[in-house]
Formats: sequence, structure tokens, C-alpha cells
Amino acid sequence: MRIRLILFLVMAGGAIAQPEGATSSDWPHYGGTQFTWRYSALDQINTTNVKALTPAWLFQTGDYSGNLQATPIVLDGVLYLITARANIFALDAATGRQIWHYTYPEPATVRGTGYRGLAVGGGKVIFGTRDDYVVALDQATGHMVWKVSMDDPAQCSCGINAAPLIAGDKVIVGATGGDSANRGYLTALRIKDGHLAWRWYVIPGPGEAGHDTWKGESWKYGGGAPWVTGSFDPELNLIYWGTGNAAADFYDGDRLPTGAKKNQDVNLYTASVVALDANSGKLRWHYQEIHDDTWDWDSVYEVMLVDLKIGAQTRKALVHMNKSGLTVVLDRLDGSLLQHFYVPEVQTWMDGITEDGKIIGRHEPVVGKSILICPSVDGAKSWNSMAYSPRTGFVYVPANEVCSTLTSADREVEEGRNYMDGTFRFELPPGRTTYSHIDAWNPVTGKRVWSVPYKYVLLASMLATSGDLVFTGNPEGDFFALDARTGEKLWSYQTGAGHRGSSIAYSVNGREYIATSTGWQTSVAGAHAQSLFPDQEWRGGSSLVVFALPDVK
Amino acid sequence: MLAVAAASPAQTRPDAAKQGEQVFEKSCATGYCHGIKGEPSGAPRLAGRGLSQTYITQAVTRGIAEGGMPSFARELSSAEIAAVVVYVASLNGTAGAANTTSTRTKSASAEAQAGEHLFRDPLRGFGRCSTCHSVERYGIPIAPLIRHVPASLADFKALISPTARLATVDGESIPVLLLAAGKSNTMFYDLSVLPPVQRVVASSEFRMSANVTWDHSSVVHAYNDADLGAVLAYLRDVISTDKN
Repeated sequence: MRIRLILFLVMAGGAIAQPEGATSSDWPHYGGTQFTWRYSALDQINTTNVKALTPAWLFQTGDYSGNLQATPIVLDGVLYLITARANIFALDAATGRQIWHYTYPEPATVRGTGYRGLAVGGGKVIFGTRDDYVVALDQATGHMVWKVSMDDPAQCSCGINAAPLIAGDKVIVGATGGDSANRGYLTALRIKDGHLAWRWYVIPGPGEAGHDTWKGESWKYGGGAPWVTGSFDPELNLIYWGTGNAAADFYDGDRLPTGAKKNQDVNLYTASVVALDANSGKLRWHYQEIHDDTWDWDSVYEVMLVDLKIGAQTRKALVHMNKSGLTVVLDRLDGSLLQHFYVPEVQTWMDGITEDGKIIGRHEPVVGKSILICPSVDGAKSWNSMAYSPRTGFVYVPANEVCSTLTSADREVEEGRNYMDGTFRFELPPGRTTYSHIDAWNPVTGKRVWSVPYKYVLLASMLATSGDLVFTGNPEGDFFALDARTGEKLWSYQTGAGHRGSSIAYSVNGREYIATSTGWQTSVAGAHAQSLFPDQEWRGGSSLVVFALPDVK
Repeated sequence: MLAVAAASPAQTRPDAAKQGEQVFEKSCATGYCHGIKGEPSGAPRLAGRGLSQTYITQAVTRGIAEGGMPSFARELSSAEIAAVVVYVASLNGTAGAANTTSTRTKSASAEAQAGEHLFRDPLRGFGRCSTCHSVERYGIPIAPLIRHVPASLADFKALISPTARLATVDGESIPVLLLAAGKSNTMFYDLSVLPPVQRVVASSEFRMSANVTWDHSSVVHAYNDADLGAVLAYLRDVISTDKN
């Protein structure tokens, strides 16, 4: 069966398909393409035949220190994968046969496992490490070509576990550590030799625009680390990224300037979507989603670059969900607000959102008191990614309905140490029997089109394809496909371990594959979720399961 | 000799390091392998790389397959392995408290306290000292361990690092710190940029010169003279010039 490539296609309902957003035989970047749609133009597997989908091969990584969270990359029939302890594999994407294997030496003093992806470009396979290095391997052999330190993890408590982003001749990385007392940044390096190209600080320094939105010296420790992967528009030559919340997370007394208004930009540029010039790293525009966030509402999640027909005009836009579940549609030329919608069904932290996206009736943490905040501090969604289909025009969101009892404190800042200024416990919202749902939203109208509830939580990414399918996995181990138009479940397969990673679509020699990572154990959202459902046993593991239609070889 | 904070029950660290040196010279600094005192030879340099005891132990007991380092788990007794790990760690300043902190007086001068913060001041970006130097528990161990602190600012500015030399890499002349030179590949720190990049190139693309033209003044722009004086005061406080 031949694979149709979708080129320009005008859809009713306001969506316009672009070649840059869809992948075809390769899956070249963490988000599919640099537009981060997680959408494949392949349709060999579609609504008429997905029932026949069956495993073609498995790869067990052997690294069970943590689950497989990573999104694989596929280029020219080779699949690249990173495991929880930074074992990098290059596999034959049609058979799973290992081509090479590289192991990053275990950092002596930095603990923790889990890597969310890698980047391939310029003949190199590039990843970040938890001890804050960026490493480039030769794509053909897996041997190290260069390695460079981004910061001192002993001092900043920061590291890298997100996939880097390729942008032309540069590779761009963020960092973790936004809940610790440090100052977040994005760094661009030259792919060929690891030389520093630029570093952009989330918090402006003295004399820079936005610096006076911080009280006293709090700017030095204000966090804002961008810890997920951003997007790139090569035509506009702009990098788009989401920044973390301000530190201290739950207490703003030390960082809010006297007299600052809570419905305007403050603590810039935390909790914002930013657009940077890819060559220089200079800020072009910013949009702060939650002013004076005191609930740990990061803006770090994926930024989907989509052209949308709004009224009579086609706008170069982007769709972005803040951790609170507030989802904005912005003009990606200048950051102006075009639309917004709120995904969670349960929320207790605000009274509402105005038409121009401002929060009204803030229910803030009070020092020494406990309040119930829904969504929880793990967010309406975690870092696992949404997907967009230009065929349906819908954004597919795995949303969770979980709450946190939050008690805020006022602690002394200590460089590099945790600076959340609060403690929290997870709770299930009363009056429900299901605690997550997969939604299809129309980003132009801001309306939910369909919603499929699920009993527990959903912590895996969505994948959308031109076969009108959306795929994801659940903690019980089911990997399944829904009809992208209606949400009807068309196929499911029990993979034996929970899903807290990402799936991709690619093809080799005319055969389409759907590959998913498996394994539940994760330090943050996975353990929190498991604690809410103690009768469940969600299995760990670290395998890639790859499906195809059996009669296509 | 410095007092030892946490000695193992069997041996004090200085004893273990001495015994380890003997093991090293017998088993490691031979033939095609490591040089004495951890200098580079057929096998990579081991001194002044901030190698942790965990890393050294893993390398000795499991080997490093892609580097051609064999496992010594069957060649050496566990006591010999423990000793040689302490010795190699002592070449890296990771043998425990032995190397740096003990001479620190409780009340460091105001200048030294300021110097400690300046040394790793994040507001100086990659221009701060800790980008290349590891002192106490902070900093990236790119440069060899600081063993001798210059007596004056003038001495410091005149400091030329003998191990940093010009090399021609892919036709380009750059200052480098050589890590390992093999038949096929050469590993080095590219000092032409901050932060320095650890790079591996084909040995055919790499030619080391005898030129020693790289000096510290090219990388200390982020500090003025008063700052540098404070940093030196801090370093004098924490680094003893003991032979180790």
C-alpha cells in the first residue's frame, strides 16, 4: 500500500495543513517536526484497518533504573533512543537490531534518572545530562564527539533531562532547577563543535527590560527554568519556549515588588511563552500566562506552532497550555492573544478568566494554612505532550482531575536549594468516579468537541496521524487508538507495563510503524499518581514496543 | 601532611595513597598504558580531571570497553583496588577531605569570604573561575588541580599554564588542554571558547605545537584587580601547597 503525503490542504473549520508540521517517513524531532504537532502524515494505518495492528518487534533496553520516558527519533530507517540512565541506542527501525550503544558515565554526585529525549542533527546525536552537560555523539558510530558543561550542578541544583532542540546550525537546551534558588536560562551551542552561541536568561539582569519586576535581590534566585523542549519556525527564524514558574513557588512576599499589580506582568519572564531570535537569542516578545503565579503553574510545556484560519484571516499562531490547564492561542509574530480556553473540569484556584486572559478571584496559598488546589501541583497535564491534527483541526489533550492540599511557608532562600516554600499532598476531587480524560478541542472556537473519560490518570503523550487516529497509553499498560474525529476507541493492546512516555509514527521501505515507550516508575507524577490509587499496581519496565499491520512487509 | 577527616578503619588515607602508588606503578603505569603520576601516556591522563572515586572504582573493576581499558577485578586484590583508587583519587582531589579543606581557618577574612563567592559567582556567567576550576565542592574540573596559589596578583597575571598549548585542529589553530592522544583519536579541551569544550577528533586532524602561548589573562575579563585579589585570598585559605 502506498503512503499518501499530505501537502497543502484547506480544511473547513479553520485549520490549514502545512508540510512543516507533519512528519512523513521520519520522525526527526522530539515533537515530530520543530513545529511540535506530534502529527504524522502517514495513513497506511487508519480507522479502517487499525484493528489488525500487531507488534512487529520489541526492544528491551536493559536499563530498568527508571522507565522509558523518551520520544524516539527516526531518520533514514534508524531509530535513536535514550534510556533513564542515558544509555543511547541506535536501532534498525524496521527490525530493532542494535547498530550501536553508548553509555554516559554515571554522574558521581547527582542522583536521579529519566531522560525525555534527544536530538539528531548535523551528523550528531545530542542529549543533555542530569549533571548538566550537553554531549554530542557521532551519528554513525555512537562515539563521543564533544561534551560541554552548562553549569555547576553542585551550586545550582540544575541539570538537563529534556530533549534538546535543533535550530539550523545550533542546538538549544533548557534546564531543570526552576523550583530551586537559581536563575533560569536557555543556551544555544554550535552543533559542529559545542561552542557557545548564546545564553538567554529568563530573569533579566540589572539595566535590562523587565528587571524591575522583581523585588530587591530576588531576581538572582527567581527560578523560571525552561525544563521542557521548545519549538522553532525556520521561516521566521524564531525559537519559541515556555518558561518555568517563579521561585519561591507558593509564596511571593520576597519577590513581588511593593505596589505591583497582580493582573499585569510581574517577575518577568517567568510563567511565560517567549519568542527569541534564533541567531542571537534576543527576546522578540513574551506573553506571561499567569501573573504572579503562586501555585507552581509552570509555562514550560510544548509550544505547538500552527497556522489557523480565524475569521477571514490566516494567522501564524501557536497553541500552548500552562500547567494550570489554561490554554492560549497566540499570534506567533507578536505574541498577541487570539483565543484561550480552560481544559480542567474541576478547579479551585480562581473565580474565572476574562476575555483578555486575565485571572480574576485568585485563591492564593496563605502562609501556615492549608488550602485545596485543583488541579494539583502536577498540573492539569504533565510534561507529556498534546497533539494537533490539521485534518480535524483539533488539539488532543490528556487532562487529569487531581487536587493538592497545599500549605505555604516563608523560608530563607539558600542558593541551589529547593525554594518551593511550601508542602503539598495529593487528593482526589470529591464527587467523581473518573480522574482524567482525553479531549479534542477546537483551538479556533475554544470549544471542546469530544471527551473520553478514564478512571485513573493519563501521563503519556498523544500521537495524531493522518489515518485519523490518535494514540496514547495508560498506566494499566494499554496502548490504544481512538478515532480522531469522534473519540471512539478502535483498538487497544496490553503492553505489560504502564505508559509515561511518548509514541511516534514512521515508515521504512513502505511499511508504517507505530512505536511506543513503556514503563511506569517515575519520580514525580508517576509516584504521586500511584499513591492516589493504592489498590493498583502499575508496572515498571523499559521497553520500546513497535506495531505494524501484519500483511505489509 | 593534612589531618584526615574520615579515615577508613583499615588504613589512613595517606597510607592507602602510598600503597596505591606502588600498585599503580606496577600495574597501571606500564607499557602502552597510563603514565606515572597520572600523566598522559598511551592511555589518557588521569591526574587533575576531577575523577570521582566511584568512577575510578568502576573503571578499575569493570573496565571501559570503548576506551580499551580492561577490568582489573581478577588481577588485583580488593585491598590493592581500594588503595589504587585512593591514589588515583588523590591525583584528582577527590580522595576525601585530605586535599583541600583542612587548612581553612574558621574565621576567613572578609576578603577571602568575598573571594569565595566571586570564584563561583553566577552573575559572571561562563567568565567565572569555577567554569574551569574545581575547588572544594564547587566548579568544573577542566584545569588541572590548583596546587600552588600565586603569591601576588602580578604573578597570577603572568601565569602561563604549561599544559595548555596551541594545536592545529582541522586546520584551525586553537589553544588546547590535551587529555589523550591515541593512534586513531585525540581527546582534548578546546580552550578557544568559554565554556571550554571537551572534543574528540581524528588524530590525523590534530597537531600539537610546542608553543606555550595561552595564559590566564585571556579568560579573567569578568573580574577587576580587586576581585582577583579577593579570589586569590580565598584560594590561599583553602589550598595548601603540600606535596600529596
